[in-house]
Amino acid sequence: MSWLVLAATEKFDPSHEFELPAWVPIQLGPLDMSINKAVVYLWISAVVSMLLGILLMRLRVGVEPGTRQTIGEQIYEIAQTQIAEQGLPDKAIGRWFPYVASLLIFIWTVNMIGFVPLPITGETFDLAGVELPVWGIYAATSSISVTLALALITFFFTHYEGVRANGPVRYFKSWIPDVPKPMLGLLVPLEVLGQFMRLVSLSVRLYANMLAGHMLILTFIGLIFVLESVVLAVVAVPAATVFYLFEVVIVVSIQAFIFAALSAIYIGSAIEPEH
Amino acid sequence: MFTLLAQADTAVDAGKAIALALGIGLGSLGAGIGIGNIFGSMIQSVARQPELRGELQGIMWLGFALTEAVVFYGLIGGLLAFVLV
Repeated sequence: MSWLVLAATEKFDPSHEFELPAWVPIQLGPLDMSINKAVVYLWISAVVSMLLGILLMRLRVGVEPGTRQTIGEQIYEIAQTQIAEQGLPDKAIGRWFPYVASLLIFIWTVNMIGFVPLPITGETFDLAGVELPVWGIYAATSSISVTLALALITFFFTHYEGVRANGPVRYFKSWIPDVPKPMLGLLVPLEVLGQFMRLVSLSVRLYANMLAGHMLILTFIGLIFVLESVVLAVVAVPAATVFYLFEVVIVVSIQAFIFAALSAIYIGSAIEPEH
Repeated sequence: MFTLLAQADTAVDAGKAIALALGIGLGSLGAGIGIGNIFGSMIQSVARQPELRGELQGIMWLGFALTEAVVFYGLIGGLLAFVLV
């Protein structure tokens, strides 16, 4: 969100904030692999989440934990007891704990970096003759492509693990609910549809949460400029701050937790189907 | 989109803006009731059995996020209808 650019430009359209212009256009046949703002944010998040893991959980770990190690152990414990043990059966925890724990830390980092102002909005403003980059906030997870990719990984792993653990025949048989024969024609398509709805709900939940969070802040700040009245700032800035704090304190962590927990539950339910 | 919301030129745009706001508002109503139920039940459970707090918390946040997401399905649907129609 680059509010500072307003000082320089006359016309302000907040809907441009969520556009992703290609910075380095790359076309692979029909695939658009261009590097844009979301990609750069993902790179930064990947590096930061790796550093977080190394710094908190790998570097100089001892029997007498300091503050740094305690934080690392807390994160590990949440991933272990609240996510892995809730969703995955005991025999699969060793195999899938790394995946769900990585999801937790990675999505948390992406979301969190989305609320840290960084000078990579791709715009510049003029301050006393010097071109300076505009600082803004943007979350890579407020783009549906990012969350859909993450959900697809879970979707793929769910069925891969279901087939691996049960064999293809037993696994796909478990999709057929235990009901009288005439009902099957209605319920089996619903079951198959349900598998794909998981993909939609998993990706749209994270995407819409982050998009709506940024949009709320943008709308309140943007009102000052759209309606061109500075007096509004008295109401708009505190309101935006409240939503900002709500997002940073609650939503960021909850969404990372939910994504990881649901992935664990989906993979767990594929390993041990109910019927 | 925002410019449309701010200065709706035609009656159609105004109608769409009203529909969007009404849709999201009504969607939030249901999720608000649901989230209230979840936290209310959580308070009751913890008041009755405080030792279960840790176990219940994970389930509570899961239920919270599942319920809250319903608003956003409404929001995305509304925005899609607003932009596309």
